[in-house]
Amino acid sequence: MSAYLTTIAILVCEAALIGLALNLQWGLAGLVNFGVVGFVAVGAYATALLSPLVGWLPAMLIAAALSALLSGGLALLSIRLEENYLAIVTIGFGEVVRLVLLNEDWLTKGALGIADISRPFSELGVASGNDIAFLLFSIALVGLSFLLLEGLARAPFGRAIRAIRDDPTVSSALGKPVLALRVRAFAIGGAIMGLAGALHAFYLTYIDPSQFTPIVTAYAFMAVIAGGRGSNIGLLLGAGSIMALLEGTRFLKDFISIIDGTQLSALRLALIGVGIILLLIFRPQGLVSEPKRFERDVFPRANERTP
Amino acid sequence: MAAQLFFNGLVTGLLLALPALALTLVFGVLKFANFAVGSMMTLGAYAAWVANYHFKMPLVTSAVIAAVVVALTAAITNTLVFERLRDRGAIVLLVASMGVSLVIENICRFLFGNNAQGFDVLVSRPIRWMGVRINSEQIMTAAVVIVCLVVLDVVLRLTPLGRAMRAVADNAALAAVRGVERRVIATLTWMIVGGLLGLAGTLAGLDRAIDPLMGWNYQIPIFAAAILGGLGSPLGAVIGALVIGIAEEMSALIIPTNYRQAVSFTAILLLLLFRANGLLGAKAVRK
Repeated sequence: MSAYLTTIAILVCEAALIGLALNLQWGLAGLVNFGVVGFVAVGAYATALLSPLVGWLPAMLIAAALSALLSGGLALLSIRLEENYLAIVTIGFGEVVRLVLLNEDWLTKGALGIADISRPFSELGVASGNDIAFLLFSIALVGLSFLLLEGLARAPFGRAIRAIRDDPTVSSALGKPVLALRVRAFAIGGAIMGLAGALHAFYLTYIDPSQFTPIVTAYAFMAVIAGGRGSNIGLLLGAGSIMALLEGTRFLKDFISIIDGTQLSALRLALIGVGIILLLIFRPQGLVSEPKRFERDVFPRANERTP
Repeated sequence: MAAQLFFNGLVTGLLLALPALALTLVFGVLKFANFAVGSMMTLGAYAAWVANYHFKMPLVTSAVIAAVVVALTAAITNTLVFERLRDRGAIVLLVASMGVSLVIENICRFLFGNNAQGFDVLVSRPIRWMGVRINSEQIMTAAVVIVCLVVLDVVLRLTPLGRAMRAVADNAALAAVRGVERRVIATLTWMIVGGLLGLAGTLAGLDRAIDPLMGWNYQIPIFAAAILGGLGSPLGAVIGALVIGIAEEMSALIIPTNYRQAVSFTAILLLLLFRANGLLGAKAVRK
């Protein structure tokens, strides 16, 4: 049971990382990314391929950098365009990543996938202790990313990208470098998705292309919508409740014998879709709405000067 | 070899023309990119398959049933989802359509499983004409699509409905002033779009196996075709579809067939970089 809870907790951490990244890209910067899974896959494969060569930490960092580079590049290509186009370009990116993973056998071992990825802290001995250490590591990673992103959201950078999301024309008239800020937001998001991929590879110790389907993207959107676009705290709640819900329904298989495994997973995915639609219609602000920030939050002494 | 590929590409392009038109019509009249095109095709394919395989109906009847089923589904989806989110901007509608896509795809998976299915049709010997093999499915696809295109062209250009659709597409507020009910036009547009997607799904099911991901695999070529023609332009969508279809098939001459799907993606990237308005020019692509 405790092993099961650890598994859920690590999966929640992965979902939270992906969600935090999407929250920066879509929630704060207003840029739709339907290719989330592509960046996660790049991170996972880069980590799996590099960690035997350079060690786990440098491998993770390179994976994050590679994801950031790719998403920054993609953003440069397409971000000046209307959101409809960015959406399809990112979907296309996700599909191309999957094609490359499937077909470049010399690098990715194709459909067979890469096995025996060694996890950090595996030298700590017994299997269960190893899991706990890895869980703590995952939580630390989520914590760090959260602090980084929350800091960014409060910093001038965060204000600028929110302004661009709400009205790019006004922001550029005020002298904000719209394109550069958007590319940066997209690249930072990409880096964190890469880290999530690294976590995925380390935890499962086995990756293959079938793990990286557009469903990952759908979960991320669900988490962001449920948590509240633009709110990082809401996102953690959203990601947590969704993964708990999804993983919880896996139990149902043991109790319900009328439907088989495929049907259960189909039902779960259909519910995700229904959830996205219902939340958009009835609770667009999510669990925790985006914090409204006033002048006094930014300049604490502004009120004293104007009594 | 090249002639054969060109011919296959032409038929693939014709097949793509229907969903590309569906995408472009929704974009033109309702101003958002409908990411549920692929899943609606899948639904059409399964509807036709049930009629054909379980109820032993001829393929033509099955195709009509598929068109009706998807048309009704699209109209209901519009009322339940898109109409409620109409004022919330293109991005929200886009994400909602992704949710709709997830729901439809997984209802199909729930009902029919992941296994590939096929229509119950007799396999006939292909005709040879000037060294090109032509099979009966290809003839049927071409005929159905061309009839659809002609009918749609007449509807859009000559009927009051077509005029009203074009009016709403141009300027919904002005159309409302002239007594054109946006809601009614939206519902009718969705029914036309659903009908096209139902037929397209049936034809796609003739071409390859029917499985829950069938429509998703067409998604990128469909968008490539519609963007190539300029989103919102029906004639452009048809031309775009032919170009993408031929490019996909002919690409087998120079790149491994595994990467066929990447052709459309590359086409989208190149277009957005160099000719963002599409071949026939659409409105405001750049921000």
